Amino acid sequence: MDYMSIANSPLMWLACGLCVALVIFQAALFVRKSLIAGKKLGITNEQIKSAVKSSATGSIGPSLVILAGMISLLVAMGGPVSWFRLSYIGAVAYELMAAGFGAEAVGVTLGSPEMNATAFACGLWVMTLGSIGWVLFTGLATHKLDKFRNVLAGGRKEMLPVVSAGAMCGAFSYLSLDRVVLFNSQTYAAIAGFVIMAIFTAYNQKANKKWIREWSFCISMFLGMAVSIPFI
Amino acid sequence: MENQDLYYEKDFLPSIVRWGRGTNLLGVLFAFIPPLVCTAVYGIWPGWGPIFAGFVMQASVSGVFWFVEPISYFNVLGIPGTYMSFLSGNIGNLRLPATVAAQQAAKVEAGTGEGTVIATIGVAVSIIVNVLFLTIGVVLGAPILSLLPANVITVLNNLLPALFGAMLAQQFVPHPKIGTVAIILAGGMLLLMKYGFLAFLPGSPSYAVIIVAVFGTILIGRKITESELKKAGSAEK
Repeated sequence: MDYMSIANSPLMWLACGLCVALVIFQAALFVRKSLIAGKKLGITNEQIKSAVKSSATGSIGPSLVILAGMISLLVAMGGPVSWFRLSYIGAVAYELMAAGFGAEAVGVTLGSPEMNATAFACGLWVMTLGSIGWVLFTGLATHKLDKFRNVLAGGRKEMLPVVSAGAMCGAFSYLSLDRVVLFNSQTYAAIAGFVIMAIFTAYNQKANKKWIREWSFCISMFLGMAVSIPFI
Repeated sequence: MENQDLYYEKDFLPSIVRWGRGTNLLGVLFAFIPPLVCTAVYGIWPGWGPIFAGFVMQASVSGVFWFVEPISYFNVLGIPGTYMSFLSGNIGNLRLPATVAAQQAAKVEAGTGEGTVIATIGVAVSIIVNVLFLTIGVVLGAPILSLLPANVITVLNNLLPALFGAMLAQQFVPHPKIGTVAIILAGGMLLLMKYGFLAFLPGSPSYAVIIVAVFGTILIGRKITESELKKAGSAEK
C-alpha cells in the first residue's frame, strides 16, 4: 500500500487535529486571562486593537515563508503531518531536518522515490522525539526563568526593562547579523530592513503616528526584501 | 495602582503558570499521538534502532537549543508568551516578530506587566494567522503550491533577513548604546564562528553566539544604565 494513503488518512487528520486544537485552546485561554489582567493594568481597547493589527500584518510575511517551506514537507510527509508540525513545536527548518534524519535512519532519502511507510513512520517519530525537549523544558521551567530574570536585573525592579532591552538587542543582533555575515543578497536585505525601520523609528519618536507603529514592520520587511532583489 | 499590580502578580501570573505547565506537559503527550497512530493503528514500526539513531542525529543539532532558546527569548516573550511560543514553535521567525510588533503598536515595554499582556495577544494573533495560512496551504496541496515560480521562493528567502534587520533597528534607535554593544558581541562571535575559531565547542556553535550576544548585552547594558543613573543622581545633588 502506498504510504501516502496512510499519511493522508482521516485518522491521521484527527490525530494531528488534536494537537493543533491544543495550541489554539491554550492561546484562547491565555488571551482571555490577559484581557482581564490588561484591563486592570489600564490597557485601553485602542492599544489592544493596535496590537492585534500590527501582529497580524507582521505575521503575514513570516507565515508566507513557512508556507513556502511547507511544499517540500507536503511532498514527503503528506498533508496532516505538515499542517500539524508547522503549527506545533519546532520550526520550518527543524521539521525538514528531523523528517530527513528519520528517513535516513532507515536508509531512505526524504522525498525520494524510495520513500516508504517505514521511512515515513521513522521520520514522524524523530520529529516528535527531537522536539519535545522545548515544550518539556518550558512546561517545567518557565516560572523559574522569571526568577532568573530578577537575578539578571540585580534584584532591582527598575532594571527589568533594561534586561529586556538588552535581551532584545542581543537576540535581534544575532538573528540579523547571522544573515549579514553570509555576504550575499541576504546581507543587503538585512541592512535595508535595518535602515528603513531605523528611519521609521527615529521619525516616529517625535511624530508618534499610529499607522507607523502598526505598519512599520510589515513595510520594512517587504521593502527590505525588494531592495535585495537586484543582488540575488 | 497597588491593587492592580497585586492582581497581576498574585492572580494572573500564578494562574498562567498553572495552566501553562498543564497545557505544555499535555503538549508533550499529544505530540506522540500521530506517531502512535501510525504504529499502533497502521502497524508501521521502524524499530527502536532507527528511531534512536534518528533521534540522536536530531538531538545533537537541537539539544542545546531546547534550553538556550527559552532562556534567551524569555525576556522578550514573558511568561504566557513563552508557554505559547514553545508549544506552537517557529519562535525566532514568527513569534518574536509578532510580539515585538504588538508591543510597539500598543506602546508598551517588554518586561513590564503591560508588555507581558500585549505579548500574549501578539503571539496568539500570530498563531491564528499561521494556522490559517497552513490550512490554506494544505487545502491547495503540494501540486498547486509547486506552481509558484522558483524565483518567488528565492525572493521570499530574503524576507526574514529584512525582518530581523528591522527588529534590530526598532530596538537600536531608542537604545543606541545597548544596541552597539549587542552588535559588537553578536558580530564578533559570528565572525569567530564563521572563521572556525569556535570549532572547539561541540556541535554547531551558534548556541554560543546566542548566549554571549543575549547575556553579554544584558550584563553590559545594566552596567551602562547603572553608571548613567549614578551620574544623573550625583548631578541632581
